[in-house]
Amino acid sequence: MKKDDHFRAPVSDTFRRKTPFIQLVEHMCKVREGIGILEQGLINYYKGEYKDFTDIAKKISKIEHEADIIKGNIRNHLPSSLLMPVDKGKFLWALREQDAILDHAENLAEMLDMRHTKIPKELQKVFIEHADLVMDTVKAMEEAVCNIRDLVETGFVKREREQTKEFIYKVHELEWKADKKKYEMNKGIYKLEKKLKPMDVYHLLKITHWVDEIADHAENVADWLRSMIAK
Amino acid sequence: MDPFFLLILGGGSAVAFYMAWSIGANDVANSMSTAVGAKAITHKQAVVIAGVLVFLGAVLVGPNVTETIKSEIIKVDIIPLNILVIGFISALLAAAIWATLSTWKEMPISTTHSIIGALMGFGIIAGGVSSVNWMKIGSVAASWVLSPVFGCILAFIVFKIIVKLIFAKENPVKSARVVGPIIIGATAFLISASFLLKTPLSKNFEITNVQALLISLIVAVVISIIGIFLLRKIQAKKEEDYSTVENIFRKLQVITSCYVAFSIGANDVANAIGPVAGIIPIAETGELNFTAPIPVWLLALGGVGIAIGALTWGRKVMKTVGTRITSLTNTRGFSVDFGAATTVLVASKLGMPVSTSHTVVGAVIGVGLARGLEAVDLSVIKKIILSWLLTLPIAAVTCIGIFLCLRMLIG
Repeated sequence: MKKDDHFRAPVSDTFRRKTPFIQLVEHMCKVREGIGILEQGLINYYKGEYKDFTDIAKKISKIEHEADIIKGNIRNHLPSSLLMPVDKGKFLWALREQDAILDHAENLAEMLDMRHTKIPKELQKVFIEHADLVMDTVKAMEEAVCNIRDLVETGFVKREREQTKEFIYKVHELEWKADKKKYEMNKGIYKLEKKLKPMDVYHLLKITHWVDEIADHAENVADWLRSMIAK
Repeated sequence: MDPFFLLILGGGSAVAFYMAWSIGANDVANSMSTAVGAKAITHKQAVVIAGVLVFLGAVLVGPNVTETIKSEIIKVDIIPLNILVIGFISALLAAAIWATLSTWKEMPISTTHSIIGALMGFGIIAGGVSSVNWMKIGSVAASWVLSPVFGCILAFIVFKIIVKLIFAKENPVKSARVVGPIIIGATAFLISASFLLKTPLSKNFEITNVQALLISLIVAVVISIIGIFLLRKIQAKKEEDYSTVENIFRKLQVITSCYVAFSIGANDVANAIGPVAGIIPIAETGELNFTAPIPVWLLALGGVGIAIGALTWGRKVMKTVGTRITSLTNTRGFSVDFGAATTVLVASKLGMPVSTSHTVVGAVIGVGLARGLEAVDLSVIKKIILSWLLTLPIAAVTCIGIFLCLRMLIG
């Protein structure tokens, strides 16, 4: 506003330019973007194509930084005087967990780029299946977060709450499946331990862990969302 | 007519016009901006609606509140006539100055509060503490606290009704097509009843209360039927088509915007012309006359002043405020408008000068409490309370200062 525009406008003082939920969805779009890039890169990596991986790691790192700025912006603009339809603390926890997804994606990309470990032929299939499950978990979480728009629009009616809950159940189920897959992967790695170099075994185990952590945080977002929309 | 009184009357009218302009530029624009922000009307349409309905509200329901300001705040019968005339002018000037100053400082003060504060100051200096009608001040001050609370509760209820009857249903668009016209009929009933119940209009046409209610009921039914007719073709484009529901309410909000403008005119015109209304009988006949009706030209002057305020500066204000509150969608805007306008209109009928802009804030908070808004910044409450505490003493002291100067000059 220009300096010469003086007027008494108490109504406009009650509103903010950007509302926290819109920003949460914006942040989620960054997560979607980052995870989308990671997905393709990870599968190529598993197949043994490391050509563009450094680029991918850089891109994810950039997106992570952009998401951090949005996160900071939301946090800095939630004064105690702000009345929200949901618990502010829970909202911030959901945001924090959503941000953790990108943190872990960035970490994974950087760590993978440091040492290009060849995934044994026998394990490739299960590794790719696991990656797909993890990405699906994140996508289900995105749907749950997006439904918050409808929740707000309808003033949190039961039907919309039930819908969000359904998305959340889906997240839980996918995360559980990803966990199962992770154990399968670890079993496979141990089976090959005589054949592989110790450092390879170490890195493979680490990869399963790093990738799986992304799904864990997506599940955490869903959990905070669940308690956020509870009556 | 005494030339001195003529001069005073002319000066008073000029200040009153300035005050009316300031109300139009700020308070009207502020209250209408909820419809502009929700994109129900453009700021140009808002200006037209404000111009016409503020004027009608001022002329038809305005006298109730004007009566309170001109003769019930201070005990006019124990103060000499000359002093009374000077005092009323000082009060108006003090209130106008404080309104301008706070506009410049962007403080959310209320012109209503400043005029009452100024009159209080005049009463204290002219006739001592006992010449102020403290009971009346008390009840008016109570209405300042009550009106935002009342607006808040009403907006809360209206929004909850919209949620329960429309959003919670299987087919929200279909429900909105049924519920929308009913609510709008209720709005039309309230507007029409306030037009006709105990107003100059009903006196002129000799309409009794029963007739007034009957006419209002017919108007309500007609408006509802028109509403049903206009909305009949709207179909949901998909499941959970909330944007079509909002579109229906966008149409309905045009009516509530009129309602807002009308009730502001009814309540706020008194702030500008109340004191002048007090001195007119003195100027005309040389003596005090409580029963003299408030001349229509004076009400019209106030109405036109407010309308011009909305037309000139208010337009800019509406545009700016409107772009700031875009997160207010039509269903919310409708609830806010309905809650605030009903509160202000009821207050006007009771002769209570309340702050329209504070009531609108109360209504916004009401929708927020009903989980209707993503975020409501409550820090504005602190600012409003601060302005309450500041306005009365500052307006009173300014009025005393101006009064003493004028008395030295004239008396």
